[in-house]
Formats: sequence, C-alpha cells, structure tokens
Amino acid sequence: MSAAIEIAGVSKVYDGGVRAVDAVAMDIRPGEFFSLLGPSGCGKTTTLRMIAGFDSPSTGKICLDGADITHVPAHKRDMAMVFQNYALFPHRTVAENVAFGLRMRKVDKATIAAKVKAALAMVELSGMEDRRPAQLSGGQQQRVALARAIVISPRVLLCDEPLGALDKKLRQQMQFELKQLQKNLGVTLVFVTHDQEEALAMSDRIAVMNAGRVEQIGTPTEIYDQPRTRFVADFIGDTNIFRGQRAIMDQGAGLAVGSGLVLTLPKAVATAGNEAGLSVALRPEKIVVSPSSGADGGSAGRSARGTVESTNFLGGAVLYRIVLEDGQRVLAQQPNSGARPFHAPGQAVTLSWQPGDLVILED
Amino acid sequence: MPATGAPRVNSLALLILPSALLFALFFFLPIGLMAVMSVLTGNPVVMPHVGFTAKHYARIGNDSYYLEVIWTTLRIGLWTTIVALVIGYPLAHWMARIRSRSGHALLLMAVLAPMLTGIVVRTFAWMTLLSDKGVINQVLAALGLISTPLQLMYNESGIIIGLVHIYVPFMVLTLTGVIGRIDERLEQAAENLGASPWRTFLEVTLPLSLPGILAGSLLVFALAISAYVTPILLGGFQIMTLPILIYQQISANFNVGFAAALGMVLLAISLMLVIAYNHVLGLVSGQRELQ
Repeated sequence: MSAAIEIAGVSKVYDGGVRAVDAVAMDIRPGEFFSLLGPSGCGKTTTLRMIAGFDSPSTGKICLDGADITHVPAHKRDMAMVFQNYALFPHRTVAENVAFGLRMRKVDKATIAAKVKAALAMVELSGMEDRRPAQLSGGQQQRVALARAIVISPRVLLCDEPLGALDKKLRQQMQFELKQLQKNLGVTLVFVTHDQEEALAMSDRIAVMNAGRVEQIGTPTEIYDQPRTRFVADFIGDTNIFRGQRAIMDQGAGLAVGSGLVLTLPKAVATAGNEAGLSVALRPEKIVVSPSSGADGGSAGRSARGTVESTNFLGGAVLYRIVLEDGQRVLAQQPNSGARPFHAPGQAVTLSWQPGDLVILED
Repeated sequence: MPATGAPRVNSLALLILPSALLFALFFFLPIGLMAVMSVLTGNPVVMPHVGFTAKHYARIGNDSYYLEVIWTTLRIGLWTTIVALVIGYPLAHWMARIRSRSGHALLLMAVLAPMLTGIVVRTFAWMTLLSDKGVINQVLAALGLISTPLQLMYNESGIIIGLVHIYVPFMVLTLTGVIGRIDERLEQAAENLGASPWRTFLEVTLPLSLPGILAGSLLVFALAISAYVTPILLGGFQIMTLPILIYQQISANFNVGFAAALGMVLLAISLMLVIAYNHVLGLVSGQRELQ
C-alpha cells in the first residue's frame, strides 16, 4: 500500500532566478514518517509541492516506487495532502468534504457513506457530518482535513505544517494522534515543519533543509546528537558552538578557543587532517555545573571556569547562562535533581564535560 | 444611561451629507416625480386640472404591442448577459490567476481600453463592421463565400453584439474580484484528491465564484435593458425596446404620463432582480461566512 519516494537531484528555479530548491536528493522509505525541517524559505514546502505535483522541478526527477512521476499531473499521483490552512471546501459539508476524493474515484454511494463514517469516527468527529467547515473549531477542521486525506487510502500522505495553527496543548495531542494514525495505517508520510521539537518527537527520519539545500538526513537522535553542520547544530535545540584553531595537547589533539581555553577533541577526530579553523558543538545538558573549587588541574581540556550570569528554572531542569573567563557565553542545563539552592548569578562555577560529547561541525 | 437629551451624533457621520443630498435630489426626487406622473391624467405643469388614473398602466397591460416590447427588451438583456458571461468568465479567471504583474496590467488595459471611448463611437464602429456594405460582408463576398450580404445588423443579434462589447468589462471586473479571492489551495486540494482540472473547476471554482456570476449578471442585465444608444443605432428602429419607446413617448408623442409608467415598469423589473439576487445569495451564503 505505502510507497517509496525517491527524489534525485531536484532543483526548482523560479522565473526571477530564485533558486528555491537546490539539488535536493532524498530516499523516503515505504511506511516512513519523514520530516522536512527548516526555517521559512528553506525550500521545504516547495519540495513537498513538487512531490504533490503542484510545482514541477526545473531539473531532476521524482520517483514513486521506482516509477518516474516527475511529469504526472497532481490528480493522477494518488497522494493526499493536508494543507496548512486545511483548504476545506467551504461550500460543502464535513461529510461532502471527506467524500470528495472517493467521489472522484467513482466509488459507489454505499461504500462512500460507509468509508466517510469510518474516517470521521477515526478522527472522532462522528455526528459532525452535516456541519460546514466554518462552523468547526480549528482543531476540528484539522481533523476533517486529515479524514479527507486518509479516507482515499493514499499511497503517500503529505502534510504541510498541519498543526501550525493549533494551540500548544492541542498540538501535542494531535502530534501523538497523527503519529499513531500513521503507524496504524502504515502509510508513507512526508511532514513539513519549522518546529524542531515537533520533528524530533514524531519523525522516523528528518531532512534538515537550509537555503534550498539538504543539510543532513538522519533519525532524530542522529540529527540531535551528531549534527553534521553548524546550521543543524544551531537549528536543532540549544547548543554551544566553539570555534578555534587546532592545538597539540598532552592527551592528543585539542582546539584552542578564545584566550587560554583549550578543548580536548574526541579520539575519533583527533587523527583527522589539520584544518585551519574548526567548530565544535556542545549541548547544554552535557555540561556539568559545579561550584568552583579552585584546583581543576586534572581535568584540563574537559572543563572551564566561569561566572553564572543568569539562572532560569524551567521546571524539569535549570538553565544557566554562564560567562567564561575569556568572555564567551555558554548555556548549561542541569536536570532538576532536587538539590537546592541553585547556583546563583555572580557565583563562580566550574563547567565540565566528556570530550566525546564534543561534535565537530562542518561550516 | 446618559441623562442628557439629544442623541450624540458622530461628527464623521456628517461626511455622508453631500452624497445623501445628491441622492435625494437626483435619485429619489426624480423617481418620485416619475412615479407620481405615471398615475396622473396629464402634465400638471401645463394643465390646470389633473386627476389620478391607472390608465397608463392599463394601456401597457392591455396592448400586446407593449408587452411584446417589454419581452424583446428582456430577451436582449438576457442574451447580452449570457454572452457577456461566457466571454467574460474565462478572461476574468485568467486575469485573477495570472502571476506576472505586467501580464495582469496588460489584460486590465485590454479590458478597460474600450471604456475610454464613447458608446456612440463604439457603436458606429460596429456599424462599419456589420452593415450590408460593412467590412465583414465585403470580406466574405470577396472570398466568394456569400453572394448576398448577411443581415448582421438592424436586428436583435446586432444589438446584442454591440451591447456585449460595451458591457463585458463590467462582467470581467466584477468576476475578477470574486475569483481572485478564491484560495488557490482549494483547487489544489481538489486536484490532489483526484479531480481533473475540469472537474476541479466544476466542483470548486465555479460554485465559489457564484456570487460574482450573480453580481456581474445583474449589473450587465440592468445596464442592457436600459441601454438606449446601441439599440437605436444597431437596431435602426426596426427593433423596439423599452428605453426607445419611452424616448418616443416623450419626444414625439409628448405623452409624459405614459412614458413615466413605462419607466416604472423598467424600474420594477430591475428591483425584482435585485431582490431575487439577494435571495439567491442568501441561499448560497454558506460559503460566504468562511471567506
């Protein structure tokens, strides 16, 4: 039922010469929850529109289960899309909206009625059949859009920021439900979002896009733990990025950042060729904050000293903003272990981490 | 509750005073006078003793000639509206959806340019095309396709051709506004669900542009049934319509009362159409709320 999508070297250049999508390649596996993640204007929606057939690539090709569909018109692609604004037909009732795709497929009336009923039950909208879209709340409209898409059992489900207009609570609930639904149906789902938390929570794999290009494709944990580029590290979650020069240390290769601070690089990278400059990322939650004891000689390269600038209690964690001795600001997040008091602003602290937690970034 | 007397009037409301005066003086007053004249036995300005009468209306109702004139007027209006809609809709759709700014400007120019020329001039231009010795007949004769000239004017179809040319811009501009407001994603959603472009048009675009079709048709119909110059020139007095008849009653027969009664009939037809329009719009208003 579900299909694989292969996007090979696809570019989209608009009339004005704007390169919205630039040599994008990705293989989306059957039954996969695949997210296109990036800031607005990164080309994710254009990519989705090309998969749907609303835009045609300037170069490259798109295949569905091996068959080239680059020039197949949208209405023959057997995909279903959930639009950002839902795009429900305002002049038709909820039931008519959901039945639309089945009618176009010339399904007989009795089957349509049964399938519409089942689809509306699946999204918990039974009894709303005769309402008009304008009479529904945003969350209900969203569900109608979803029912209208899944009722035709599409080979691929496309979602363009479908949860963007919902408030946070409803959004989280719908994230969960959409994920469940996708797993139960086993349908291939391509999901466009600019919300990195949403992408991490729902996806099997994520393609992070920036300025029309794919920066990295990987599972949520790969994307978060091993960001390949500076953009990915910066875009996904909070991160500290250090930039510096290679340096030789007692324990192996190091990175001299700013004045005086030298970071020990992980073993795997220590042998890599000598570059002029290098960026490394360190996640705030990988840093341990402890009161400054004065003698930290044993942990040179894996620790730094600084002063707490601000302390933000987040509930489940505490977020410290710390100024290092060379003036660089670092975020450090500690789980709320119950220990009190927190480090107060102005307090001298020592930050420490494992060299293996440093991730070397491409610029 | 404020205890002080007179209701407070927003001083900005005074701004509508000029237009209200204009309306009262040049719209309601003349129509009121026309209504009064239509039930008087004579012209009170020149006759000392006049009374009330329904004879003008009775004359319209009892003489099949006048009913025939009314029917001809409506028929011309109806055909003009239908042809203007068929020509105007694709053009309006194109204008509403064209991406290039210069393309849109060019189309708008093409639609508006004829309106810069007077109706009389445009009608004469049609006469040079449609007459027995006109361009079309000459060309067809030169090609050997016809031996006797085709009767292209001094009949209803000639009038309709002229009226369509004059009123298509009104249809296009009304429709463009409404079609332009239809969210293109609705059409994409339909195609995405398996509707061919033609089916998408029938299922989504057309029903959602119904308010524009109604408004444009109403406008063109009302203008067409009250047109005077074009039916006279292209009809050559062979075709009698209500406006021509009214003019004749005033200028040739000096029968102002009867002319007023005919004018009231024309007004009543237009009013009935507006009421019907509002009613139909109310029926399809389910889609209006969401726009």
